[in-house]
Amino acid sequence: MKNNNEIILSVKDLKTYIYVNNRCNRAVDGVSFDVHKGKTLGIVGESGCGKSITASSIMQLLPKLSRIESGEIIYYKENKAIRIDKLERNGKSMRDLRGADISMIFQDPMTALNPVYSIGSQIKENLIYHTSMDKISMNEKTIEMLKIMGIPLPHQRAEEYPHQFSGGMRQRAMIAMAMACNPKILIADEPTTALDVTIQAQIFELMLNLKKEHQTAIILITHDMGVIAELADEVAVMYMGNIVEKGSVSEVLRKPAHPYTKALLESIPILGKGKKQKIEPIRGSTPDPYQRPEGCQFLPRCNYSSEKCVENPSYHHITKTQFVRCWKSEEVLSYV
Amino acid sequence: MFVYFLRRFISLIPMVLVLSFLIYLGLELTPGDAVSFMVPPDQIANLKPEDLEKMRDSLGLNDPFFIRYLNWLSGVLQGDFGYSLASGVAIKDIVLDRLPATLELSIAALIISSLLGVLFGTLSALYRGSITDNFFTLFGMIGVSVPEFIFGLIALVIFALNLEWLPVGQRLLPGYNSYWDHMPHLIMPAGVLALMMTAGVMRYARSSMLDSLNKEFIRTARSKGIPEWRVNFVHGLRVALIPIAVLIGFRLPMLIGGTVIIEQVFQWPGIGELFVYNVRSQNYPLVMMIAFFSVIAVLLASFLIDLVTAILDPRIKLE
Repeated sequence: MKNNNEIILSVKDLKTYIYVNNRCNRAVDGVSFDVHKGKTLGIVGESGCGKSITASSIMQLLPKLSRIESGEIIYYKENKAIRIDKLERNGKSMRDLRGADISMIFQDPMTALNPVYSIGSQIKENLIYHTSMDKISMNEKTIEMLKIMGIPLPHQRAEEYPHQFSGGMRQRAMIAMAMACNPKILIADEPTTALDVTIQAQIFELMLNLKKEHQTAIILITHDMGVIAELADEVAVMYMGNIVEKGSVSEVLRKPAHPYTKALLESIPILGKGKKQKIEPIRGSTPDPYQRPEGCQFLPRCNYSSEKCVENPSYHHITKTQFVRCWKSEEVLSYV
Repeated sequence: MFVYFLRRFISLIPMVLVLSFLIYLGLELTPGDAVSFMVPPDQIANLKPEDLEKMRDSLGLNDPFFIRYLNWLSGVLQGDFGYSLASGVAIKDIVLDRLPATLELSIAALIISSLLGVLFGTLSALYRGSITDNFFTLFGMIGVSVPEFIFGLIALVIFALNLEWLPVGQRLLPGYNSYWDHMPHLIMPAGVLALMMTAGVMRYARSSMLDSLNKEFIRTARSKGIPEWRVNFVHGLRVALIPIAVLIGFRLPMLIGGTVIIEQVFQWPGIGELFVYNVRSQNYPLVMMIAFFSVIAVLLASFLIDLVTAILDPRIKLE
């Protein structure tokens, strides 16, 4: 039982800033979370809230003009703690982790694969750099991976190029590539946003199977609450570079304690509820990252705001697992 | 794949025919005919119009245009390119005499400029914004915008007149026995020509490489934990090479027609010099043949581009 709760990655007060035109965008501003072995952590939030930058920080795949300002990213490899944030960006030790211990799949499988190399050779590239297999077993492993991902005729498909694959097939190939070396953590950055709904369901099923069979921890980045409900064990809601609420999926989705989470959930239409259902959009728009509001970042758009909110709230626990960054959470909770 | 390229090759034939017709038509429209250039001007006044007419008849110049075109075409297909009006020497011999000089110059320049252009352009893209990049950018701007004869003259002043390292011009001189004897003559024209061409390839390679490095698949490659050189070259450059190959391919016709100015500056006895001289003296059968060869070079180059891009880019469908 204790083994099930083993922490594999821990992010502590991570701050990643992007510098453009001599201005600083505090894209990730003090994010903390733990990832447990074999569990899925969902990160939700609107575009530009810093969820992708958080993921890129873990992989050290940040754009050139951004850097990890402070905080810690610790990866626990066989009880050895590795400070990822201290590693050189494209240095040997970082590269050894990438693709082998931590893998990533991207939003758009149409552009994420190199068009001039065959699918098989792109999967094999992972094996070449992270395993000591010989050529024959590498080929076998590649075909096996494609087979596990549910790609028909894997022998033939491995020789084909990305443009000969459909969108869903490409995403499967991407996952095959990411999973080739049995990583401990899979970061999925909006893996199904570019796919249609039926294909989405297939990809989710695939990811659930992988999680079960290989005890892979998944960090799932999305802006789709439905995806979170289906796949995640835990969820962190991000707003303006901060986690505003975090907890188990059932807690956060059923009893949101942050006005933003609550507003997000109220803005989703529910199928079958009929025409009369009220969909409440969140008023206003996301603040300019260069002119942030003082105190709580959600303050200008919040229905529960009070004078106290000018001061930035700290985290406090609602339950053992759920915590929130809001002064008025009691009020939000009671107002169901 | 082989069948596709065979078909593609066969489709060149009608194009060659159409273009040869246009070239023939173009020269038909220029004033004057063969007789007026064959007979020296001071004699024309003494000849009777009947005699001139007789000469035209005997040369077949009074035949209908289309018949003359077919006569010319069948001659060309049999390897008879006609004779120079000025000297009476077979055009085939004149061209074969000049072609090696031009090919030597232009192939040397093409190889140097392609290799250096891709190398500099890639470095420029990889170290974007650095001193290296700025230097190459400046060099590229100058190379693209300054006409080649200016560089030719500057090079002549520096290396031939002041430093006296290299000969002023010409290709072969009496007493040259081996092929390597004339190499010093090649250095300057090939170097100047390559300099200009490098600038173009480099600018293009830089933007193509930057474009490629900004693609998603570069991040995917990096996420696999492969070394940076592999990310940049095996993934980035490989994709960037496709448009660069097209650009270089479009320069292949230069092998025949593009060295006119440099040949003039360095008195290089190539096709370009021949072309300029004969346009001036209205030696039209020769001009026509040179134009015809250039056309064939362009068509062959486009065929080669198709071939190379099909090899480089699997997305190109062959059916």
